[in-house]
Formats: sequence, structure tokens, C-alpha cells
Amino acid sequence: MQSPERIHPALWRATQLAKGAARTLPTGHAALSAELPDNGWPLGSLVELLTPHPGIGEIRLLRPALAQLETRRPIALVQPPHVPHIASWMSWRLDPRQLLWVAPEKPVDALWASEQILKNASCGALICWLPHVRPESLRRLHLAAQASDLLFIAVRPSRAAQSATPAALRLALAPAPGGLSVHILKRRGPVCDTPLYVGLEPGALIPSSPRHAPLDRRIPALPAAGRHTPALAA
Amino acid sequence: MAALTPAARQAGVTPGMRRAGAAAIAPGVELLPRQAQAEADALQGAALALLQYTPEIALADGDTVLLNVGASLMFFRGPRALSRRVAATLRALDLRVSLGMAPTATGAWLLARRAGRGVPRRTLKLPTLARRLDALPLSLLPQAQGRRNWLDDIGCHTLAHLRALPRAGLQRRSAPDLLQALDAAYGQTPELYRWLEPPNQFSRRIELMDYMEHTDAVLAVAGRLAEQLGGWLTARQLAVRRVVLSMDHERGRHARPPTELEVALAQPIWQASQLLHLLREKLNHFTLEAPVIAVTLHAPDTVEQPAASTTLFPEPGGTAADHARLLDLLVARLGRDRVRHARPTPDHRPEAANAWTDALAAPERPAPLPPLLDRPFWLLEIPQPLKLSGHRPHYGGQALRLKRGPERIESGWWDPALTVRDYFVAEDAAGARYWIYRERDAEDARWFLHGLYA
Repeated sequence: MQSPERIHPALWRATQLAKGAARTLPTGHAALSAELPDNGWPLGSLVELLTPHPGIGEIRLLRPALAQLETRRPIALVQPPHVPHIASWMSWRLDPRQLLWVAPEKPVDALWASEQILKNASCGALICWLPHVRPESLRRLHLAAQASDLLFIAVRPSRAAQSATPAALRLALAPAPGGLSVHILKRRGPVCDTPLYVGLEPGALIPSSPRHAPLDRRIPALPAAGRHTPALAA
Repeated sequence: MAALTPAARQAGVTPGMRRAGAAAIAPGVELLPRQAQAEADALQGAALALLQYTPEIALADGDTVLLNVGASLMFFRGPRALSRRVAATLRALDLRVSLGMAPTATGAWLLARRAGRGVPRRTLKLPTLARRLDALPLSLLPQAQGRRNWLDDIGCHTLAHLRALPRAGLQRRSAPDLLQALDAAYGQTPELYRWLEPPNQFSRRIELMDYMEHTDAVLAVAGRLAEQLGGWLTARQLAVRRVVLSMDHERGRHARPPTELEVALAQPIWQASQLLHLLREKLNHFTLEAPVIAVTLHAPDTVEQPAASTTLFPEPGGTAADHARLLDLLVARLGRDRVRHARPTPDHRPEAANAWTDALAAPERPAPLPPLLDRPFWLLEIPQPLKLSGHRPHYGGQALRLKRGPERIESGWWDPALTVRDYFVAEDAAGARYWIYRERDAEDARWFLHGLYA
């Protein structure tokens, strides 16, 4: 008798990560990819990111995955909390013609716009910010996403961690020096106890001791003006 | 009485009654005069809407529309599918219709006029048609009505009996068009009709019996007009880029000019269902200022229908036309200025360089890439002043520590928006990064928060 998880790719044991169920996009961060089922962001289903406040590094976390999408498929940003900065996008060497900013007045219009973008399936990725949303609306969006193959990310506030979600993957993000601390709350695999550290600055190291705050640039030891540098110490 | 509602029928009125009789039997029933012009208009509209199935359409008397679908059967996947689609189109126009299909026009017309429910009205072969027509009563053939008495006397009640009579005798005793109609029905003589010519410009109007005060009712009427527009576009092989829905208000003392609602499209469309989708979104957010008595649809801006190009393997993400349809739909509901594309302008000031325009405007050439700058992804619309405490800026109750900087941006001396700023990247105790600046042209330095690193 075969072990049950080999019968169909949609089955997985509670102690193992699920494999082979959906198409995924590699995250670009090795530590995070190792912890996700199928080693990447799942396409065609709802992924929730919970942030305490905007601007801790959520877009930089997604940047390597967004860079892998085809340029001709747009990336839709629905109801972002602030104005997206094109210069930042261009400094990441990504095409600003891909961006589509949808800024509705009312939250119900944001849900409608997300649903239409999912049904149309011509965009490559959809990132929507939903501060207040009911579980049945989320479920509806999740069902609409399953008919398409785009990367669908919903960014919600951290207090939404207490309510249930139909998402297949749920990550809680918190700021950390030089990167993010990612706590995987829900995934198709074993429960993840400890948060991971994902470094977003180039050359960031895992902080070993929290007492010493790292600085980005080390100030070189220049001699004061008017003094000769001793030959031995140079 | 020519037509009745079920409620009137229950009240005791029957078709064929005179006005006085109906008023005597059921005084509560409302009697409306018959308007021949409106009926002719409705028939013309139905013919226009059906032009999407075949270019050969003729109108005949007795409220009949004849469609020559011989060439369309294979394209629309068979006679049954075609009749279903024609019935659906006519239902969308709010018309009750009985449909007949036969190899000859007169035969199809007789089958359509046949009384009874569930009787077979569709046939594709001449022998079957002959069999079906044989069973029909003579009352269906208008050319035989002049000699009905005589025909009844000699025991001729159905078309089979009529065919069995000797031709020479029948020709001498009745009008020549009786034999012509009979031969045409059975397919023995060819039939000639003058096909309908679609007009050069599309501008159709529907007047209603009562006032409309709600946009849902306007949408129902606009749906009928959209079907007619779809048929006209297919017949002329055009696609429409701009559609104007004009709603007339009442005349008289409270007369006002008609309200116009324009729908502009990124991509030309020619199908009625897509247009209806967009009209529905637009009308949902539209408030009527006065009751509407008539609705007109104009299509002023038409282009050639683009040839559909298909690829062997469908690519994921659809075509550019799919994306244009998505943009049209979003703009129709949210408004043109809420769906935006990036249009960076070369300027040193960050808020001026970060320009966004509406998505339906024509795309421009991409700007050259700037040198690698370290910019935050979120830009605040209005920079937020920060409180100073102990010579350190504070945000959210936490002291910010400066990490990188200063970057001096001085620009815009030609504008009222002169900026002289020193930008820094600051970090708070948790590790989140902020883009803050200090204004240089003031006596005491004021700090502002301008961006968040996402």
C-alpha cells in the first residue's frame, strides 16, 4: 500500500511540507523558500501578509518574485496606503510601464476591482491592501483567484491574525534591523514556531546580539587635519 | 382589441371586442391606442439586431422578419443553436416571437404562424417540409381567404387538399397569387425579396409609455438599443470607439435639454454584451435629474473592425485586448482619474517626478533610467512634520537614528514650489526605515517625513 501522500499531489502529511500541488514563483530569499511548500509563492491562490504598519519592507520582500514576471503583464496595486514611488521601482531595475495603480474611493470598490482583475487574468500580479474586509469577501476573492495564475497578495493589518482566513499561506511580518522577521502563521505543512529572518539590505548579517545596533557605513578612521599620518600605523 | 395582458383577459375582455364592449364589461381596464409607427419602429429595430446573424433580412407584412440563414448555419453551429441565439436576441429586445425554419421562406412563415404549443416548427429538408405543410389549415394562407367559402364548400380544408386540386381549374377560379404562394411554400418556384440595407449612421430612439425615474429602467432600454447596435456593427463590419446615450426629459413646462452620457473606450468593441457591461457600470453611478421619457443611442465614432488574430498556443495572460477591456471596466466604475499608469517626469524634486496619469491615455516612450538611487517605495503625499526631542526627530513615539545621508536636493527655483532639502535615511528602534528631510532655508531646521521604505 502506497504511503497516502504519494497518491495525489494535493495530499500532504501534517509533518511534511506539501509538494507538487500548485505552480509557484521562487521568492528569491533562500531561507524563506526552504520553508514554503513547493519552494515559492503559490500562484492562483490568496497569500496574506500581515504588517503592523505600512513601510516595513513588504514590497522589498516581494521584489525578486515580481522581477521574474513577464514585462508585458502588468502588476496591479489596489488601494495602496500611500503613493507608490516610481523612482524606487526604477532603481530596482523594473519597468514602470508595468505598474497599474487603482485607487478607489470606497473599500467596496476596491474589492470589486480586485475581483475584476482576478477574473480577467491579464495581470501578472495583484497586490491589494485591505484594512477592513469580511471573511466571506476574502473567500470570494480566493475562489476567483483559483481560475487564474497570477500572484495574488493581500496585505492586512497585524490584528487580523486572530481571525480565520481562506488563504493557503499567511505570513506575519515585523521590522528587524537590515531586513524583516517573517513568522509563518499558516501554510500547507508543519507549524512553524520560530520566526525567520530575511535580510533585505545587501550584505546584512543575522544580528547576533541585539545590544549592538549595526551601522550601514563604517566611518573610516581618517586622521585629523594638520597631522602627519605615522608611517607604521597606515 | 388587438392585444391583451393576462389580467385583462381574466377580467373578461377577449380579442376582437370593440372598445365600447370592453369598457362595458371591464371598466377598470386601461385602453391604449394602437400606434402603427411604434410597431414599425420595433420591427425595424428587431431586423437591425438580427443583422448579426445574416446580412440578408427582409421585412414582410404581418409583422414578419425573414432571415436567409443558409450560409450562417455552419458558422453558428447548427440550426438548433442558431434558433436559440435568435430567440435570445429577440427576448433581449422584449419581443414575443414565434420562430419557424424551413428551406423556403413562405414555408417557414407558415410554420411559424401555425397555432399550438410544442408543434414542430423547424425542418431542414423539402420532403419533411411538404409533409408538415400538408397538415396546415387553409386559414393560415392569406391568399386563400378570398375564396374560403367556395373552398370550404368543396371540402378543401388543408393545404394538402389544395394541392390535390387540378391546377388549371384553380388558376381560373381564384387569384393567380394563390398558386404562386403555394408553389413558393413547397419550393417549386424561387422567391425573391428585397434585402434590408443597414443605415449609414446608427442613431436609434426608443420612446416609452411612462416616465422612467430609475437608472435600472434606463439600463433595460439601453440593453435593447445595444443589441441593435451590435447587429448594425456586424452588418457593416465596423467597431465603435465612442457611444453616446442621450436621455430625453419631458416637454412642456419643465422642459430641459436631453442628458448625455458618453462612454469612451480604449479598444474598439463590436459586441453588444461588452457594451452593455460598460453601460451598466456607468449607469450605476449616474443619478437622473428628471424623469426620462425616451432614450437614444448614437454611435458617432466608428472604425474598421480589426481582424482577429489568433495564436496557435494561447499565451497565459491573454492578449492586449483583454487588458484594455479590464481597464475600460475599471474606468467605467471607478472613474477615469482613479486608474493610473506611471508617467515619471525628469525632475529632481521627488513629488514632481512621481507623476501618474490616467491609464487610458496614450502610452509614452519610456524615460531613460536614472542612476541607482536609494528611494523609498511609499511616498507621502504631504510631508509630515516631525517633532524634535533632544535634537532627534521623533515619529510614532520613537526616536529616529540617521543612517545615511545627507543628500541635498535643491530645485524648482522657477516654480513657486522651491525645495531646498537635505534628505536622510533614518531608522527607528524596531528597524523600520524612513526617508526624512530637513529644510534648509529656515532659521531653525524643521524635519519632515517624506517616505517609507517598503
